Amino acid sequence: MAETKEKSLSDEKPKPRVRPIVRLGIFLISHSFHFSVVCCTAGVLALFLLPVLAKNTYISENALMPGSASPMLSNQHVSDGNRLVKDLTNPNSKSSETGIESHKIIAQYMLDLGAEVSFHKFHPQMNQFHPLHFFSSPDSGKIQENYSCSSYGINTVGIIRAPHGDGKEAIVLVTPYNALKSGFGEALSLGIAYSVFSLLTQVTWLAKDIIWLVADSQYGEYAAVAAWLREYQTPKFSSLSTPNAEMCPDVNNLFELKGHSISGSKFSNSFRRAGTMASALVLKVRDQNEQFEDTISIYAEASNGQMPNLDLINVVNYLAVHRQGLRVNVEKLWSLLNSSWLKSLGEIFESLAKVAKSLYPKWKFGIPATEYVEGTATLASSLYYQALGVPTGPHGAFRDYQVDAITLEISPKFSLDKVWRNDILLRGGRLIEGVIRSVNNLLEKFHQSFFLYLLTSPSKFVSVGVYMIAFALLIAPLPMVAASLYVDANSSSNCSKGDSSTPSAITDTDEHSIAIRSWRWLNSAKLVFIVHLWGAIVSLLPYFISQIPDCSPTTSFMIWVLLSILSLLTLNSVLASPLACAKATQEKEWALVKSVTISSVFIGLGLMSVINFATAEIGALLMVPMCLLAQPLKLDVRAGTLRSFCRMICNLVLGHIAFPPAAFFLLKGMLDGFGNANVGDFWMWVESLWAWNSATYLFIGMVQLPCWVLCISILFHTC
Amino acid sequence: METFINPKSLFHLLLLPCLLLYSSIAYNSSPVEAAMHTNNWAVLVCTSRFWFNYRHMANTLSLYRTVKRLGIPDERIILMLADDMACNTRNKYPAQVFNNENHRLNLYGDNVEVDYRGYEVTVENFLRVLTGRHETAVPRSKRLLSDEGSHILLYMTGHGGDEFLKFQDSEELQSHDLADAVKQMKEKHRFKELLIMVDTCQAATLFNQLQSPGVLAIGSSMKGENSYSHHLDSDVGVSVVDRFTYYTLAFFERLNIYDNASLSSLFSSYNPSLLMSTAYYRKDLYKRRLEEVPVTNFFGSVMETIHTDAAYKALSRRNSGRFEDEMSLDQSVHHIKRRMLIKVNDGDEIHDINPELLQGEEGASKCPWSTFRNKFQKAENVDSLLNYGLVAMIPLLVISTWLVQ
Repeated sequence: MAETKEKSLSDEKPKPRVRPIVRLGIFLISHSFHFSVVCCTAGVLALFLLPVLAKNTYISENALMPGSASPMLSNQHVSDGNRLVKDLTNPNSKSSETGIESHKIIAQYMLDLGAEVSFHKFHPQMNQFHPLHFFSSPDSGKIQENYSCSSYGINTVGIIRAPHGDGKEAIVLVTPYNALKSGFGEALSLGIAYSVFSLLTQVTWLAKDIIWLVADSQYGEYAAVAAWLREYQTPKFSSLSTPNAEMCPDVNNLFELKGHSISGSKFSNSFRRAGTMASALVLKVRDQNEQFEDTISIYAEASNGQMPNLDLINVVNYLAVHRQGLRVNVEKLWSLLNSSWLKSLGEIFESLAKVAKSLYPKWKFGIPATEYVEGTATLASSLYYQALGVPTGPHGAFRDYQVDAITLEISPKFSLDKVWRNDILLRGGRLIEGVIRSVNNLLEKFHQSFFLYLLTSPSKFVSVGVYMIAFALLIAPLPMVAASLYVDANSSSNCSKGDSSTPSAITDTDEHSIAIRSWRWLNSAKLVFIVHLWGAIVSLLPYFISQIPDCSPTTSFMIWVLLSILSLLTLNSVLASPLACAKATQEKEWALVKSVTISSVFIGLGLMSVINFATAEIGALLMVPMCLLAQPLKLDVRAGTLRSFCRMICNLVLGHIAFPPAAFFLLKGMLDGFGNANVGDFWMWVESLWAWNSATYLFIGMVQLPCWVLCISILFHTC
Repeated sequence: METFINPKSLFHLLLLPCLLLYSSIAYNSSPVEAAMHTNNWAVLVCTSRFWFNYRHMANTLSLYRTVKRLGIPDERIILMLADDMACNTRNKYPAQVFNNENHRLNLYGDNVEVDYRGYEVTVENFLRVLTGRHETAVPRSKRLLSDEGSHILLYMTGHGGDEFLKFQDSEELQSHDLADAVKQMKEKHRFKELLIMVDTCQAATLFNQLQSPGVLAIGSSMKGENSYSHHLDSDVGVSVVDRFTYYTLAFFERLNIYDNASLSSLFSSYNPSLLMSTAYYRKDLYKRRLEEVPVTNFFGSVMETIHTDAAYKALSRRNSGRFEDEMSLDQSVHHIKRRMLIKVNDGDEIHDINPELLQGEEGASKCPWSTFRNKFQKAENVDSLLNYGLVAMIPLLVISTWLVQ
């Protein structure tokens, strides 16, 4: 009887019903090790599978209709273009030191076509680190005071108004041109642009105005285009800077001459505008080329990994390949093309696909191994340039104003004879004409196709929905491991205390100690916070170092390193020396530190993936294994098993690789060879990052570096 | 006794409402039956805007030109164009629209009257045109002023899907809406026969909900099929005509106003391999045989001419039918077949009449009934009709009450 009573009592106890999602969470946390191993391998594998999963591009916007109209560019226009090329390459035009003569020639040519012409003079703005202006767009407010008449550039701008259009929209064609030392390629690019321009002055189908910007590239292509865009988009109402520039005799001379020689023409001294820019094309022709085919390279990456709408690339690719018979290239990491491991990986995927196909004929996902290698090389370069956050050409300036733009670089096959030149003028011109006519058909901004994508070839892409999977798999274990570490640290310290003290003692101090213990993670959080604070300080230091005059990159780098270490030590001593591990009694302190570190890394990576996916992906590849593996070396040495030994080795290797400068040199060595590596290079690289307002710089300073320091501190933890 | 009487009286009682019903049907249907084909109207709708839909406007303008050429006057054509391609800035030939790359024919000539243009082409306005529910300020030229004898051609082109047609890239006309509008038209005696011709993707689905008699519908494609454009004009840079419309026009280009090609020859002229879709026509609501109906009954304005002895005197429907038959008989060999068909038809009609006559014998004597019925058919006067009905009721009432007693 008594037994049954007890049974019934125990039955009556309400069993805590746990919801399935909570149970799943608990399960994952308790098996976090296996979970993280599976997820990380799957994440890396998914990344390598991306070239296989890439889809063919397609024109998404109905209105574009590329290639539906036959090109109208004729030999007449080509010979017009040829005339300009001849005049520009004529040695007489190069006599002037400032190269004003050639600008006059171009302007005269434009005027002869009946276009509106104006000169835009600008003072090159050196890119500088403005810590407070990091993400803000460039504005016209910050004008440098130290003008000098010797350093200015002149952009020549020609505008064709659409004959029946409302003048609310415009398409921009940019040709960078350095009047002082122009190669034949630049002249040729002007010739192509001019032949298209001369055609467009005659056609009736323009719905958008055409702006042809001859950007003076003596201070860099980007600077010229950016200066013109700044002026175009942010009109200045106070004319503070213009009198300054017009003080210079040379410029006045130029304007007056123009004004007199062509009276009553469409030349104007003021800045001319057309409508909102629908899209922009930057056209370049490369001087030397060893390739056997006429190829055209597309550069699309703008600042912080922003890409133009995929439709724009599609249109160019479609017209170049199917209409003009040009080969289209996108950037590749050439060093990857010859790597044998990639080839064998491609072969494995190929054979797997074959097996799958033999099992079920509808599964067709395999691609040939060579194609896989090329796709991977392209994907890697796509990832790299997006992660860098530095625009790959003058088109980047347009993206800052949300204008879709790409740079087209035509690399013709050798030879300089006339037939060949006419051919490249004709084909290049027809390509540009086709793209302009296609964009001209647009009714709205580019919006149909993707903005977030990685290219694996000019006609294949991986969209955000696919590549995010790889990243999500990589970072999925982080919160699980953090939670399991936290739970372990708490419970294990509980147990150890329970063993040492008598049961009666527990009852007194139980609640109190639990309360203290449950807040113990705050200690670790404080440490993590301090290290991140230090990271912010380190990221700000270059601003002050760059103020030091006459400093070579190497010394700057050294100063930076020294100051960083100094600031770390100072912070350490000021803020209660958290690294010293004062409470040595708590043997699981490091686990809590690791837990909080992992959480902060998770947050950092998650945020970065929104700003710049590629940076986050590469960062995750480095940091996730390091964070997950980090364990005090002392423990591993003490354990002495093979497993702990392996872990120790991994930790040491990762500890070296994940240090940002080390990672940089490794990457650089892999791409360019280790021969010419220099300590100062890293400084230069960092300088370029902040000059371009790249978020990657912030990421390295405020997420990766603190994470590395914390992991190192865990490795050398004195338990 | 009672058991014997009851069924009989019940039978008579049942007969009474039947008779009443018959009289009411005869009254209701008599004006429609009597209505002759009096005029032709065309409602031509292009529902899509934007430059890349150039072909839809070209389709509609081509049809406009065709029906005008075949004799429908401008005041009886309601032309709805959702956008203005002729004056689009992208048009290489300003103020001209072509439906062929040879550019021989400018569809947008001097005498094009567009009734609804641009953003006026909405589902609401379209339904208002069909049903005739306009605001008072809408001018007569924008109204469909058809009557019970009108043949209406409704041509629509644009982008469609399963049971809908897109208007202006912002609204949709659903098959229910269309069927409802047609039903209202029928109730308001706004047409005698209606031909709906639709050139969109999945056009056939748009006819699913139609119920009204006298409606004939033809669509360019079945459910799940696309309607494709015919060819691209690489000079203008757009596709200029859709396949279905192109082959429709090709059919009509061979015709003139005097030709007597039938609707069935039009419908059978569509070749699925050329269209790249299956043209679908729905004729279950349509009474006449397609072989007998000349296309000019809808696409032109050809009506039967009736010889009358005196002015202002309407002839009965049956006679006019005979005139038509005689007209068509003296055409060609092809029409001999038709005559035979007509004969078969006549036979059917006789056969149909017989049960009525039998029914009549039961109700009353044969002779008064036939005169009575003749009077019904001629009757325009409601009062006389009612009177006849009431008079017929009285003896019945008396007999039935007597039997019950």
